Amino acid sequence: MGPIEGLLYGFTVALTPGNLVACFVGVLVGTIVGVLPGIGPVGAMALLLPSTFALHPATALIMLAGIYYGAMYGGSTTSILVNVPGEAGSVVTLLDGYQMTKNGRAGAALAVAAVGSFVAGSLGVVGIMFAAGWLADLAVRFGPPEYFAIALAGLALLSRLSGGSVLSAFLMVAIGLALGTVGMDPISALRRFTFGSVQLSQGVDLVPVIMGLYGVAEILLLIEAGLARTQIAGVKLRELFPTREEWRRSCAPIARGSVVGFVTGLIPGPAAVLSTFISYALEKKVSRTPERFGTGMIEGVAGPEAANNAATAGAMVPLLSLGIPFSPATAILLGALVLHGLQPGPLMISQQPEVFWGFVASMYVGNFMLLILNLPLVGLFVSVLRMPQKLLATLVLLLCLVGAYSLNNSFLDLWVLLLFGVFGYGLRKLAIDPSPLVVALVLGPMMEKTLRQSLFLSRGSLLELVARPLTASLLLLGALALFGPPLVGWLRGLAWGGMVTRRTVLFRGRRGRGR
Amino acid sequence: MVERVVALAVLSVSGAYLAYALRMPLGTMARPGAGFYPVAVGAFACGVALVVTAMVFRRAAAGGGVIETTEAADGGPRPVWPAAATLAGFTLLMPWLGYPLAALLFVAALLRQLGAGWRSTLLAAVLSAEGSYYLFAILLGVTLPQGFWPH
Repeated sequence: MGPIEGLLYGFTVALTPGNLVACFVGVLVGTIVGVLPGIGPVGAMALLLPSTFALHPATALIMLAGIYYGAMYGGSTTSILVNVPGEAGSVVTLLDGYQMTKNGRAGAALAVAAVGSFVAGSLGVVGIMFAAGWLADLAVRFGPPEYFAIALAGLALLSRLSGGSVLSAFLMVAIGLALGTVGMDPISALRRFTFGSVQLSQGVDLVPVIMGLYGVAEILLLIEAGLARTQIAGVKLRELFPTREEWRRSCAPIARGSVVGFVTGLIPGPAAVLSTFISYALEKKVSRTPERFGTGMIEGVAGPEAANNAATAGAMVPLLSLGIPFSPATAILLGALVLHGLQPGPLMISQQPEVFWGFVASMYVGNFMLLILNLPLVGLFVSVLRMPQKLLATLVLLLCLVGAYSLNNSFLDLWVLLLFGVFGYGLRKLAIDPSPLVVALVLGPMMEKTLRQSLFLSRGSLLELVARPLTASLLLLGALALFGPPLVGWLRGLAWGGMVTRRTVLFRGRRGRGR
Repeated sequence: MVERVVALAVLSVSGAYLAYALRMPLGTMARPGAGFYPVAVGAFACGVALVVTAMVFRRAAAGGGVIETTEAADGGPRPVWPAAATLAGFTLLMPWLGYPLAALLFVAALLRQLGAGWRSTLLAAVLSAEGSYYLFAILLGVTLPQGFWPH
């Protein structure tokens, strides 16, 4: 099935009443989650995962992905109107977005953000259609060594790109990989690190870990920081029309942001956040008036908002075509598919076209829904912020508890949730990003399986593994990502030091001659 | 101080993990056993933990490494341990009290901690406990603990 045929088939799946409702619920929840500071899309996806058990896999995926990209729309609303980013991908938007509100152009900023997100989201879906198919065709030829190398290089890149130091990211990777070894050994059925617990033989469930790290931890921080009411700027419907000049200035940043976002989405790491910073820096660089950024430039809203939406689409490519998630949000989507008995990977497009193409088409539908929801109903969404934060924090914690329990009807999951909630709170206090832990926990079992298979195939020779061109290139890429920047810095320092020494010698020489 | 304690705890846990992993069958390079990969992960974790601990201690000796505390927006900084203790209390009590009562007590305790009035606390506690029970147990068919209440 080609991309166009596939997409048309996907629309027949996405436009069924059940999937339309799921898409609507997903984008609605996503927008609300995006509006509310403290509760991110990852926590919300984990929270709603148990409620998708009874749904068809395609419907579950459509709803959960709707939360993910819906949050990107909602996040911009609070950045622009309240100067508080609803989620991390909208931090950059407040630099110029809130200034536009102060300048009386809040409506224009909201409209450009929504249209930019819609355009980027739609272009991103086109990217998925072609890139995922191409990558899946390529990945059919991959063996265990290639998969192991992809996962290893992905973790190396993630360690470099996630917030904080590489060492702290390594620590998170180590904890994630170690957690991934808990449970029954897939080959010998030996129980590892279970301490006699039958429930632990099945391994540590991903969902309570994510709920703890992203749901409970965020609420604990919110409780600590205080739960003050937010002052909200009002926007009338007639103010939501940017001027012709504002539209003209927004077109190129939206296009550039879409490309930057999609490409960043393909790379392991906090793609949505990273893409906004890259897009903002790019817009500033190409602008004739870079000094005016931060004073209410519409380019500073259009580019990053397009970028974070395109990044969510880009992040789907490795998940759908390789079955490898490079971010906590896509790890949840992988978890949802596995819970429904599906294994994302190169064969999913041909073996589960209903799920793949239905999901791709639903992203078009979801982006359209978000455009309609976010412009006329912006006032309604912002009024969510008027809900008492004390009640909201309490309800989110209660939902985390009952959601974690309902996964396996297990009290162990509740303790895991609590443990990782407190652990996640501690990580935030130490300014450590927990996302490498989540990705390592997901990739760990796959890495072990592929490493053991690879060693078995090569009769224990590591050299044979590295001799494969793709494996070698991927491992080199990972090594470059890890050691490239410090090496370049060291070489620069050496060169600069050399220049300083030469200058000093020259200076001394001249002085010496002068004397 | 906190960073040093955390670093030492991480180092100890990594060491314990590696020691436990070494007790498993390692196998050979051509036929790796159940302990092969955990030993590799444990060695990696110990290496990273060692470097982190050394850095934390060196920084502490130089006088750095102070964790910033967050100022509360509605008064002084609010400790989070009561909220964490309430979460633990819910987890401990739910098997005995059953979900509806445990949820009611959890919401009431947390809202009171956050400074809500008695009337709104009780109303919110009853509504959220019953509402969440209806959503999960009745609509989604999740089996929630009944505790000592008749089934």
